[in-house]
Amino acid sequence: MAPRRRGILLWARRASGLVLAGAALVLGMNAAWAAGPIVVGATISETGPLAADALFQLRGEQLAIAKANAEGGWLGRRIVLKYYDDKSSPGTAVRLYQRLITEDKADLLLGPYSSLVTVAIAPLINKYKMATLEPGASVPTIYVPGNKWNIQPVASSTTYLHQLLPLAQKDGAKTVALLGLQSAFTLACDQARTAQAKRLGLKIVYSTTYALPQPDFSSIALAIKNARPDVVLACTYYPDAVGITRALHEQGYAPRYLGETVGPVEPAFIAALGPLANRILSNTSWWPNFKTPGNRTFIADYKKKFGEMPDYHAAAGYSAVEVLGAAVKATHSLDQAKLRRWLLTHTVQTVQGPFKVDANGRAIGATQDMVQIQNGVLKLVSPPSLAQAKVLVPYTGS
Amino acid sequence: MLALQLAINGILLGGLYVLLAQSLNLIFGVMGVVNLAHGGFIVVAGLFTYWFTIRSGVSPLVVLPMAFIAMGAIGALVQRFLIEPLMRFGSRAELLSLMITFGLSYLLVDLALQLWGADFVSVPYLQSSWTVAGLAFNQALVIAGIFAAFISAALYAWLNLTLSGKALLAASQSPVGAICCGIDVGRVRLVAFALGVGLAAAAGVLVIIVTPLAPETADDFTLLAFVIIALGGLGNYLGVAAAALVLGLVQSAAGYFLGGSVEYILPYVLLLGVMMLRPQRFRRAAS
Repeated sequence: MAPRRRGILLWARRASGLVLAGAALVLGMNAAWAAGPIVVGATISETGPLAADALFQLRGEQLAIAKANAEGGWLGRRIVLKYYDDKSSPGTAVRLYQRLITEDKADLLLGPYSSLVTVAIAPLINKYKMATLEPGASVPTIYVPGNKWNIQPVASSTTYLHQLLPLAQKDGAKTVALLGLQSAFTLACDQARTAQAKRLGLKIVYSTTYALPQPDFSSIALAIKNARPDVVLACTYYPDAVGITRALHEQGYAPRYLGETVGPVEPAFIAALGPLANRILSNTSWWPNFKTPGNRTFIADYKKKFGEMPDYHAAAGYSAVEVLGAAVKATHSLDQAKLRRWLLTHTVQTVQGPFKVDANGRAIGATQDMVQIQNGVLKLVSPPSLAQAKVLVPYTGS
Repeated sequence: MLALQLAINGILLGGLYVLLAQSLNLIFGVMGVVNLAHGGFIVVAGLFTYWFTIRSGVSPLVVLPMAFIAMGAIGALVQRFLIEPLMRFGSRAELLSLMITFGLSYLLVDLALQLWGADFVSVPYLQSSWTVAGLAFNQALVIAGIFAAFISAALYAWLNLTLSGKALLAASQSPVGAICCGIDVGRVRLVAFALGVGLAAAAGVLVIIVTPLAPETADDFTLLAFVIIALGGLGNYLGVAAAALVLGLVQSAAGYFLGGSVEYILPYVLLLGVMMLRPQRFRRAAS
């Protein structure tokens, strides 16, 4: 073959090779783009009585997803959080999760805020076999063999304020009054604390449940005053925590120990009650001084984005996304069965501590610690290894 | 001593109920307008009170006349442009007003959500009790009770002892007859609705110093107010005041002896009982 013709053929081969390589690159990129983002579906109580706490959980989820995207996403794909407002209504949440699964075709799901709402959607999650982390649901009755696709990344409601009664008893307390809001989480907590009081040999001098709305807690406070317990332990959400605290003060009774589950850790609680909030005990599954992986970054990012400190609800939402991401990356898959098997058999270190569950998806790694409002500031008072301050007694209501 | 304290707590709670119910009683019981936005007006006024007092540092009681006048003006506009046009539909006006105010309630709740968010908020004011002879008098409820007593007495006096009040009663009994007597029926209804909304706003200012409020609690107040006026008799001011006080007393005792759950359902159980035993109480007093 003439040298010139050989040169042309060589050039043609090289050019076509380049064209083919370029085409492969473009097609490959298109394939990745064509796969689209990974859609994580959820509802959150943006409105309704649960909104105050739910907002924190949503922010935690959003922050974690933004961080994951900044680090390249999952499986090379961007992650999008698609969420709806369930209005703190279980019925609304069921409809919305149905939509997320069947219409929006969410690849992954995160649970809503609160045990109340999660109990309603749990059967739907099982029906569609979606391995779903439930960062807002602490009631243990969800995580039973029949609900195998619901997985608990937060400590059970039965552990809320579990340190209070032993602490009070050590201090000489002999009597306790127990209050519980009629809601899944608070009733489970109330039952657990009642059983604990009996085990410890503390006398339950008053016990009641109540529903919201309750504009006035005077009757309950008066009954507590007449019973004169050493400890008042109330399993509450925010509005009833405020109401009970005020009513006790108005009826003129300050127990030696006053503990309320949900409510006191919210900034609005201290703002609403002022000095009445001083020395109230509460609980948390996360604290800024935890030496957990990524905790400092979580706090810094949260403060930068939202202008305030996160709380344990935010940490729960953030941790749930951390765990989900770990499962997706480890299995290289969005297959729900694979994800579930992985989640049930692995431990993941998160900002709120270790994620680990039993065969039914119930949390066995997460814990609840105790905090106390001291002079308008929340301080971690238990466990001793992390405590920022000692427990101050008595509760004075001023 | 226990009985006295329970009675005091019950009367004070009843005073709060009077406050919640009387303004709705005026609008529904006498005008025949089913104001489902009643709770919305209460909540908007309450949340505005929170927003204003937190920023200005003034007492929420200072906000009360502002809220009364401002919301009264809004009530006048609602009556003039939304409710009054329905009056020409005769007997269907009651149902139509229900639908209009139902939509208005959602508008008010959404407005509150947009302006103040979904969180429960509360004003840290009057959070203690006055103690007299060992008995505790909740300060916030005492203030609310004083206003409630004043409102009930003033409404009763206005409707029964003044020409303008009697004109309103006449207009609600027979608009045609009232017109024939030279009464400007439209104007009378405007004044009554504006007054009712203004009083609902005053209730909101006082409620937020008693209990935390959030936009979503609007329906709870509307429902409770309807239950109370149903128990007391539609349009019957003394009846509603009495029913509210009795309800407060019964709830106070039930809450103490039987627990919070019983206290919560008591108004609705009583309502069922009254509906079954004395359904004639649900005829409007003006009818």
